[in-house]
Amino acid sequence: MKKFSNRYIFIYSTVLVAIVAVILSVVSVSLKPLQERNQRVETKQMLLRTIGVESTKDNAEDLYAQHITETQLPDGKPYFSFDGGVVIPLRGTGLWGPIWGYMALDPQGNVLGAVFDHKGETPGLGGEISTDKFAARFVGKKMDTQPIQLKKHADKEDKYQVDAISGGTMTSNGVTAMLQTAYDDYASLLGNVTVPGSGQSSNTIQQ
Amino acid sequence: MPWSKNNPVTVQVLGICSCLAVTAQLKPAVVMAISVTVVVALSNLIISLMRNTIPPRIRIIVQLVVVSMLVVLVDQLLKAYVYDVSKQLSVFVGLIITNCIVMGRLEAFAMSNPPLPSLCDGIGNGLGYSIILIILGFVRELLGSGTLWGYPVMESLGFYNFGYENNGLMIMPPMALILVGIIIWIQRTRNKDLCE
Repeated sequence: MKKFSNRYIFIYSTVLVAIVAVILSVVSVSLKPLQERNQRVETKQMLLRTIGVESTKDNAEDLYAQHITETQLPDGKPYFSFDGGVVIPLRGTGLWGPIWGYMALDPQGNVLGAVFDHKGETPGLGGEISTDKFAARFVGKKMDTQPIQLKKHADKEDKYQVDAISGGTMTSNGVTAMLQTAYDDYASLLGNVTVPGSGQSSNTIQQ
Repeated sequence: MPWSKNNPVTVQVLGICSCLAVTAQLKPAVVMAISVTVVVALSNLIISLMRNTIPPRIRIIVQLVVVSMLVVLVDQLLKAYVYDVSKQLSVFVGLIITNCIVMGRLEAFAMSNPPLPSLCDGIGNGLGYSIILIILGFVRELLGSGTLWGYPVMESLGFYNFGYENNGLMIMPPMALILVGIIIWIQRTRNKDLCE
């Protein structure tokens, strides 16, 4: 085995780290526009899915502009209005990191559609919240006099219960908490017939 | 042969952690398998090219820096070009860095062998890992969720009409460990050389 001096080791590691840093920054900067576009399109696709409009990566931005208007509550909380109701954003925490989603509601507080997503939930377990199968469980439920809760062996007839994910209890609890938060934040939009879906709300401050 | 007699998972018993975590469904298992194979092969190649210049005292650090760089690159590329898959794998791409197979092959092979054999060793070990991951993903998704690659196999075959139910235990991590155990059992029954 060759013998290396301390000076060699210091210089070697400094140069190595510098090279790696340069490579990574170049890649990161050059891929950034693509990644950001992916994220933006994904959010728009999620919103479109809640109102039952299927989109592809290419036409999502057009369809979005066509169907959805961004608005906000008097206190500045953002939401989206479309022809037939509102879409409220959901934000919360799962087991490993943030979880989020959107839920489309008609003026009576009936859930028309929902989507969920996550940063780092376990694939196949908590990560299941991002599937269509999970989101479909919310359709036809209600967010008016109380929020929806995720429960083990939920009663299918109950409008305020949704089946939780087996193996994803912590994430399911996170979703329940997230729905509670959204319910509190957007109470004025939920099941309140005097606040119409699209008509007036798009006259409020536009973003 | 790294994919049978010297399989990194069933014989060397490395990389078990990610085996349990990403194999509840077939698709993430396959993408994970590809990512790990790419990282092992390339890091083996790079370390092998550098092997005569690396001071032994800091070799582990150098290996880690190279592996981390490759993993971050893979992660960035997945995010830019196959965004939906990268989201499904989420944290596990980052965890390739800590996969024992990668460091194990660098220490055991790439540090003392020329670039071409090192590249092949990396690909071979990556494939060995891939086979196990894909078998686990296949069995667990089929029996646990009744689907394959998201396609509802059990439903279209009409099994549910006969009272068949998905086995919820299959999607729990411990079941992956039991399945790995069964694979090791079968392998050792067929190949007596592996028994200690």
